[in-house]
Amino acid sequence: MTKPDEIMDLSQIDHGVFRSFPFLQDHCITCGICSSSCPVSGIDGFDPRKLVRLISLGMKDEAVDSRWPWICTMCGKCQYVCPMDIHIPDLVRAVRSMRERDKVPGILHKGLEAAIRTGNNLGLPKEDFIFILEDVGEEIAEEPGFEGFTVPIDKDGANILTTIHNKLVNTHTEDLKHWWKIFYAAGEDWTVPSDQWEGTNWGLFTGDDQAMKTMVGRIADHMDRLKVKNLLWPE
Amino acid sequence: MGSIINMQRKHAIVIGGGIAGLCAALELARFDIDVDLVEKGPALGGHARSLTCKATDRCVKCGACLVEERLQAVVENPNIKVHLGSEIMEVQDSGGFSVVISNEGKSTCSCEADAVIIASGFSLFRPDGKPYGYKRFANVLTNLDLERMIRMQGSVKRPSDQREPEKIAFIQCVGSRDAKTGHLWCSRICCGAALRMSRLIRSRQPQVTISVFYIDIQSSGRDFQFFLDGLRNDVRLIRAIPADVFRTEDDRLSMSYFDPTSRQSKDEIFDMIILSVGLCPGDDLKGLCSLFGMKLSDSGFVTVSDKTEYPEKHGVFAAGTVLGPMGIAESIASAGKAVWEAIRYLKI
Repeated sequence: MTKPDEIMDLSQIDHGVFRSFPFLQDHCITCGICSSSCPVSGIDGFDPRKLVRLISLGMKDEAVDSRWPWICTMCGKCQYVCPMDIHIPDLVRAVRSMRERDKVPGILHKGLEAAIRTGNNLGLPKEDFIFILEDVGEEIAEEPGFEGFTVPIDKDGANILTTIHNKLVNTHTEDLKHWWKIFYAAGEDWTVPSDQWEGTNWGLFTGDDQAMKTMVGRIADHMDRLKVKNLLWPE
Repeated sequence: MGSIINMQRKHAIVIGGGIAGLCAALELARFDIDVDLVEKGPALGGHARSLTCKATDRCVKCGACLVEERLQAVVENPNIKVHLGSEIMEVQDSGGFSVVISNEGKSTCSCEADAVIIASGFSLFRPDGKPYGYKRFANVLTNLDLERMIRMQGSVKRPSDQREPEKIAFIQCVGSRDAKTGHLWCSRICCGAALRMSRLIRSRQPQVTISVFYIDIQSSGRDFQFFLDGLRNDVRLIRAIPADVFRTEDDRLSMSYFDPTSRQSKDEIFDMIILSVGLCPGDDLKGLCSLFGMKLSDSGFVTVSDKTEYPEKHGVFAAGTVLGPMGIAESIASAGKAVWEAIRYLKI
């Protein structure tokens, strides 16, 4: 992309390019409080004020091809402090959505693609998933006070359905135990689906509305299929 | 101009004893109009009375001294009756205005007036909700707090320990140009005030370094460019509004901002942070205007008619910061204008 210091041909600038964006980007008074508050300002030359200005100036290729929208963590602090209430995280997401899908940064692209294809970001087979859940369940059952604990997978008519964040069956299996112990102690009637259990929805981060809809639809389908009334969606 | 003979003595009420109200009362009195000057506070002089003279080796035309001579003249003027600790309670349309004035809620008095000038001033933006730790950290002050401090004690000291600061930061536009608080306007006086204040501090306490964080500097006065150029050696100007302020273990203030020169985030330590808070419509302006049947604009200041500077209500005029943010000199001019309109209305 054009480096900030390169002299630009101003006649090429078309302010109308992003006119349909409803994020109030043209209200920017360039005060810079977004950049001052941003936890990733300064990384690879990124800061939110500059990105908002790129959009406001209609510099589409520069914005879409740049790494800048992908450095943002979408934490939303910039919008919280912005005196003009510019919807900066939504703007970032909209710019991300304009990138060709094959050029979405690797981990997000691969994770989401795996989720759409296999039902979870890891591409973890169903047998392996069930094995991990039951293994963790057995560990809990060995603890005093949790005798007889089992994981109710695909239980019809349960009160609560809960989704799983992929890292909980990958590197953070210990963290599964907290909710489950609370359920046990509370005598809660709960369940977890055996496939398409992914709780994250990385279409949020890649700007892919269709993918988001697919992921949400799967959870809704579980609710219908198992006749569960309440959803616990911790993501 | 000497006093002009007013054959049928007219009567006016001026609401507000700040610089605009004082000037309006004096101007009306010069036309032999009897004036009731109604001030809700315990003393005349308004915000302007708290401001400190910013002269260094010479006058910088800040206007802070202009209030005192007028205050004296008002007190001595036989045509002006001053009501301190007083508010307007009732207004009846009697061709003119029948007004009930309450004195500290204890006693009331009535008076008849042919014209009313509203000069009840502004409120300062309260920055408690901004991320700068105002009221949480003793060494975060507003620009008005700082004015008062220098006026009282002549120099800047940290409120937490009375030590002289090494580094001071000014943050401009706190509560101005801010859609979230509904204050889209520029408060107009803060850039000039902060820069003059910076130079005053530097001239009295040369060991203090000062940084001014700004969006864009509003020029003020004819010599402004010269003034600003001279200031650049003295004061660090940084074009960014900072975000967070934290207190350090040794009771200093760590402030984060995005430095546009290095293009990096910085956490810099300061001893004091001064918030240049915006001028907002007065807290009681809404109630006052509804008593007199006047409209406020969407911004909350008094609406004026397209053709003149006075509100669209016969016999009611507005002066000073009820019309929007302005400085002392402009408030004085605005009072003169309001009185001129009132005189024409009264056919004097």
